[in-house]
Amino acid sequence: MTYKTSFITALVLAISINALAQEKPSGLQIVQNVYDRPEGNDMQSELTMTLINSRGDERVRIIKQFIKDFGKVEKKIMFFLKPADVRNTSFMNWSYDEEGRDDDQWIYLPALRKVKRISSDSKSDYFMGSDFTYDDLGDRHPSDDVHKLLREEKLNGEDCYVVESIPKDEEYMYSKTVSWIIKDKWIGLKKEFYDEDGEHLKTLTVKKYGKIKDYWVIQHSEMHNVQKDHTTRMELKNIKIDTGIADSKFTERMMKRGVK
Amino acid sequence: MRRTVLLFLLVLSGGIIAQEIGLSGYVRNYTGALLHGDYEYAILQNTFNFNFEHSRDRVSFKVNPYIYHYSDDEFQIDLREAYMDIFFESMDVRIGKQQIIWGKADGVFITDIISPKDLDEFLLRDFDEIRMGVTAVKLDYYIADNTFELVWLPVFTPTLMPDANSIWFPQLDFPVQPQFDYSQKEIKGSLKNSEVFAKYSALTSLIDFEIMAGYAWDDDPTLHISKIIDPVTHQLTGLTVTPRHHRLTLGGGSFSTTLGGWVVRGEGAYYSGKYFNSADPKLVDAVVKQNYIHYLLGVDYSLWDINLSAQFIQQAILDYDEAIEQDEFENTMTFLARRDFFRETLTLELFSYIGLNNSDALIRPRVIYDLADGFEILIGANIFTGDKGSFGQYDNNDMLYTKVKYSF
Repeated sequence: MTYKTSFITALVLAISINALAQEKPSGLQIVQNVYDRPEGNDMQSELTMTLINSRGDERVRIIKQFIKDFGKVEKKIMFFLKPADVRNTSFMNWSYDEEGRDDDQWIYLPALRKVKRISSDSKSDYFMGSDFTYDDLGDRHPSDDVHKLLREEKLNGEDCYVVESIPKDEEYMYSKTVSWIIKDKWIGLKKEFYDEDGEHLKTLTVKKYGKIKDYWVIQHSEMHNVQKDHTTRMELKNIKIDTGIADSKFTERMMKRGVK
Repeated sequence: MRRTVLLFLLVLSGGIIAQEIGLSGYVRNYTGALLHGDYEYAILQNTFNFNFEHSRDRVSFKVNPYIYHYSDDEFQIDLREAYMDIFFESMDVRIGKQQIIWGKADGVFITDIISPKDLDEFLLRDFDEIRMGVTAVKLDYYIADNTFELVWLPVFTPTLMPDANSIWFPQLDFPVQPQFDYSQKEIKGSLKNSEVFAKYSALTSLIDFEIMAGYAWDDDPTLHISKIIDPVTHQLTGLTVTPRHHRLTLGGGSFSTTLGGWVVRGEGAYYSGKYFNSADPKLVDAVVKQNYIHYLLGVDYSLWDINLSAQFIQQAILDYDEAIEQDEFENTMTFLARRDFFRETLTLELFSYIGLNNSDALIRPRVIYDLADGFEILIGANIFTGDKGSFGQYDNNDMLYTKVKYSF
């Protein structure tokens, strides 16, 4: 009897484990995996943003950026290299893990020769006239949205989960986003943004990604605003990860000194 | 002379290619016309501004020559900055002519008194042009997000005032035409006459702040006035005005923090040893030495994509005597509203100073359009209201102007 019971228990357990293994992850789990994807302790790169309007006219912005994870805070410093009239401007952002805590932001304007604290309450503003908002460029916390796995499908030869994310904050600039996330790699390959009226606003397409020091990194992406027919091409060059960027890189001293 | 300087700049420009010296700067045309009378030109100026920069591992330099060319073929050629930097592990040293800006105020000078002002065009120039470079040695010592700064100015540089025939020459109210005696205006360059400033500042998640002190000279001269009285009629027959700079000691600080979506800023300083003009007949040269405080509270906020900023500024003379010509409390406000359109290619801006004591103001609307990256066209106006006070005195100087600027 004991033997029989044990056998049945083991059988049920084996079936359950098998079923669990086959079970699809939830939308939240998928987005959490993307959020938690290892990115290294620090990264530096040169970011080129090309703004292309409906007539094909291009404007180019070049930024040298440094990012470092300090545990509970991620610090980022950006030095603007082009266009010429914003050269030597720098921007620093301290982003906190703590839920609901606003980022701290400063800007150094060379004409004023001083570092100014600015409010981070403008996440829906477009970054340097591009199609990316400040929030698009940051890591949005998974708990800010309700996620639902819509389906699984192939995109550009990659097996993807398609996840719909609806913000909990009804005042948020997007009514929903739909993301195509590569299974196992946990990289978003495509993302559609819908405006407050539920209309398709823009699409982010990842054109190139690769492994640098064992970390998956998106190197080339494009954001296309379908309503205004405007595109921003974003390319990362000279990417270096885990080089041990000094803590002192993320200070007022460096904002003023610039890239030297 | 002009050709020599231009030739020098050309040779230097050629040389920089070989030396891999960074060259940046701008070319600008600035045309302004008065909105009264015959709509005379208030300014017709072409500007060439260069930045030559080079850096190696621990050292760097920057030289910023500029040329103002005016419609009457007059040139003004000078160096705004020319300095060298030495970078150590926790310390930087900057030696040479440099602009040093302190404080958290915008467009108001409270603890920010190291670089004197070029008031050739009142307060209308861009801020990097109003601030004059000073020859100084600046030491910065860093511990994490804390900075200790020490500045030594071996030579005093006063505020640059406009020519007496300029439309920006300040209104002087004398009962009779005075004689000016400039013999005591200059401060002789010596170690004893040098200026020293110190600052401790920190940039933290909670708050940014600065605490400073300075042993300086008053950048603005005090007008010592001696009267010539007819011994028979006892009537005032003449005035001799002697501008003199006096020592000034000050201590102060500033802060900036965020409260929700608001940025709250403050700045204040206590000045000891300032001379004010007084009508007290017992005084020999019509000046009295008083201490005063100067402070500001400001907020920045963004509403409907419009960046808004407001500041309240007060200058209060301590132990006030009614005979002092300046008001005991002088209150000023500033307002700024700015919004970008069309992917930051078009900017609308309105900035104004409002003098609360004299109900006067300077209102500065501007439209800036980026025709291409680094090429902007600006159309603006300077409207002065009131009939007295810092801004009202220029009531006849309302002007419309354009600036076309090519940055490289």
